[in-house]
Amino acid sequence: MDQIMTSNTETIPGFKITKSLGIVTGSTVRAKHIGKDILAGLKNIIGGELKAYTELLMEARTEALGRMMMDASQRGANAVVNVRFATSSVAGGAAELFAYGTGVTIVEG
Amino acid sequence: MTTGEIGELIGIGAIILAVLLFVAFPALALIYSMIFARFHQAKYQKQLIARESFVMQQLGKDNLSTLSKPVEERKIVQTGLVMSNITVAPSWWQLFLGSIRSIFGGNIVSFDKVLAYGRGEVMQRLREQAIGDGWEEVVNVRVETSMVLNKVKGGKQNKMGTLEFLAYGTGIR
Repeated sequence: MDQIMTSNTETIPGFKITKSLGIVTGSTVRAKHIGKDILAGLKNIIGGELKAYTELLMEARTEALGRMMMDASQRGANAVVNVRFATSSVAGGAAELFAYGTGVTIVEG
Repeated sequence: MTTGEIGELIGIGAIILAVLLFVAFPALALIYSMIFARFHQAKYQKQLIARESFVMQQLGKDNLSTLSKPVEERKIVQTGLVMSNITVAPSWWQLFLGSIRSIFGGNIVSFDKVLAYGRGEVMQRLREQAIGDGWEEVVNVRVETSMVLNKVKGGKQNKMGTLEFLAYGTGIR
């Protein structure tokens, strides 16, 4: 198994957890771009989706998840279970995206 | 022309510019929002319903579930996280109606629509994401709401009413 398996369930069905390696985390802080902010402000007049923000947050969250996986592989885990996300706004216009879970080693069966 | 007259002209020009920027533009934008926002939002709502029924027809069932295990006994080869998000905000007119509503209290219908659209859309995106990534089913789906990227000015938070919805689950195959 070369790729780390992730799941937000407590166990991975079909696999047995052999060892828990503790909590693995990954986080990133992103601020928004002023140009995109102005465009989003204009889009705000008619409401609905603000695409610039959607993309920004997804990009940041993917990065946080990637850092979590790196943490897990450094610990020698081959799976991360019970993954959770937390989002908080740090300063005006900046967001912290945090992903955490439990690194485990699993075997088939 | 004396220098005094030129100064006066510049002063008048500045006042006109300020009026245009701070009165005329927001007023026009609010009127535009009142008239056209509903058409834009209705269009997106319609597209969402069409996409939902398309996926349902293709799969014959909903591929999302909030249970931690698939209902039917099956062999699982691989699992992985699937997630999708959307940022939505009410229109200026809806914000305006909402602020009036919050004086007397009660159900804010205009916000309801935006939030319902956001939730529906984020779940539909999760379905499409799962199909695109090749997952057969998504279990343990959770939907989270957060208020980020808001303007903070003078202690007044969330001026634009921006909301982010995040849906995630475990894809299995």
